[in-house]
Amino acid sequence: MAQSEIRITNEGKEFRNEVMATHGADKLMHCYQCGTCTSDCPVAKRVPEFRPRNIARLAIYGQKDRLLDGDLVWLCAGCYTCYERCPQKVHVSEIVSALRQLALREGKIHPTIKSIVTTIPKHGYISEIGEFENEMRADDGLPPAPTPATEEIKAIVKKTGILGRVGGA
Amino acid sequence: MKYAFFVGCTVLSRLPGYEKSARKVAEKLGVELVDMPGSSCCGTTYMETLDRKTALALAARNIAIAEEMGLDIVTVCNGCTENLTKTNKALKEDPALRAEVNEILRETGKQFKGTVEVKHYVRMLKEDVGLDKVKAASVKPFKELKVGAHYGCHLLKPSDEMLFEDPNDPKVLDDLIRATGAESVDYPGKTECCAGPVMGIREKVTWNVGMDKVQTVKKYADAMATCCPFCYITYERCQFMTETNPNLPVVHIPQLLGLAMGLTADEVGLSTNKVDASALLAKQEA
Repeated sequence: MAQSEIRITNEGKEFRNEVMATHGADKLMHCYQCGTCTSDCPVAKRVPEFRPRNIARLAIYGQKDRLLDGDLVWLCAGCYTCYERCPQKVHVSEIVSALRQLALREGKIHPTIKSIVTTIPKHGYISEIGEFENEMRADDGLPPAPTPATEEIKAIVKKTGILGRVGGA
Repeated sequence: MKYAFFVGCTVLSRLPGYEKSARKVAEKLGVELVDMPGSSCCGTTYMETLDRKTALALAARNIAIAEEMGLDIVTVCNGCTENLTKTNKALKEDPALRAEVNEILRETGKQFKGTVEVKHYVRMLKEDVGLDKVKAASVKPFKELKVGAHYGCHLLKPSDEMLFEDPNDPKVLDDLIRATGAESVDYPGKTECCAGPVMGIREKVTWNVGMDKVQTVKKYADAMATCCPFCYITYERCQFMTETNPNLPVVHIPQLLGLAMGLTADEVGLSTNKVDASALLAKQEA
């Protein structure tokens, strides 16, 4: 079977540099493709297209579209098994975070994650905990949930601009 | 002993059995858990992957509330524990980052000072209360009950941030299970992730990961014990996603501790567990 050729372009190099400039992702080029990350990844065991080693390789070659299209970078469970096991401390989990941030810049975010991010400033929690929920809590003998200071949370997300970037406001 | 109690969204809204048993067991052990006025979502483990500054600021705001209370934080969710611990560590160690995050927080009137610690409930039991005291409080111990511990990820990992037990050979849950008189069993894949965070991306992946563990634990134990709301939900719900429901009871660790301490099934909220866990009661000494 013919293998598709990978060529690194200037644009690809630029993309790789952007990945490496993100917090925790600076050791990307230390990856020697041993695959330890993939052998114990709980998602890789069940999802053939999710291969942490391959994600690192594609990032090294600056393959932006192949990385950011579809739900690839959103499939990471964030379990840090690859982070713990990598003999080179490449930390593929942090490479995935970098890729999510770059996806976000392209206007790409998984709808589930977008919904979580936009719900937090609205309700203070990842779901509404209001009168109804507090009645249920009272039935279980629990005190009312803390009333989150949503104005303060709105002030935070306004200042960092995250809502605008996820397309939530 | 007195702590600021950070319950977290999912436990507050969906897992009354966890919260109820955690509060009652603390009471039994003379630990005071004080609610945190104005506290909110920790920021979620997702936020950190999207925008670190937002994640730090959301977590730091919650930490600042505990600082104003003058109390260390106790959490019952692995995800909240990770977010709050990492933020606490990063902002204590890096003054420039702290200044930047405090600038983001300016309008909220809160500032991160770096005066408190963050601990998961099970870590608090081990390090502050002590396993001996937990064991001594178990006046109605279990007999011939086998339990499979599931630790989850963010109680332990990343290990260079969490600075707790070895993620490849953790002890605390096994020790707590043994303190109730039950046997804590080893089983293949004990430290594997529940894949809960993928539930909203590809649900079936999470149910498959969940069922693999449930079926393994079923071979070795009578029940599974967890210390994270997301792990708990995964292992409970996955069982209802197949036609051959294995009916393996999944309990929150304080539920197990509470029963052994003589609390009633109602006091530990056992009826809120969706897989019937009442068989555990028959395994207690009278």
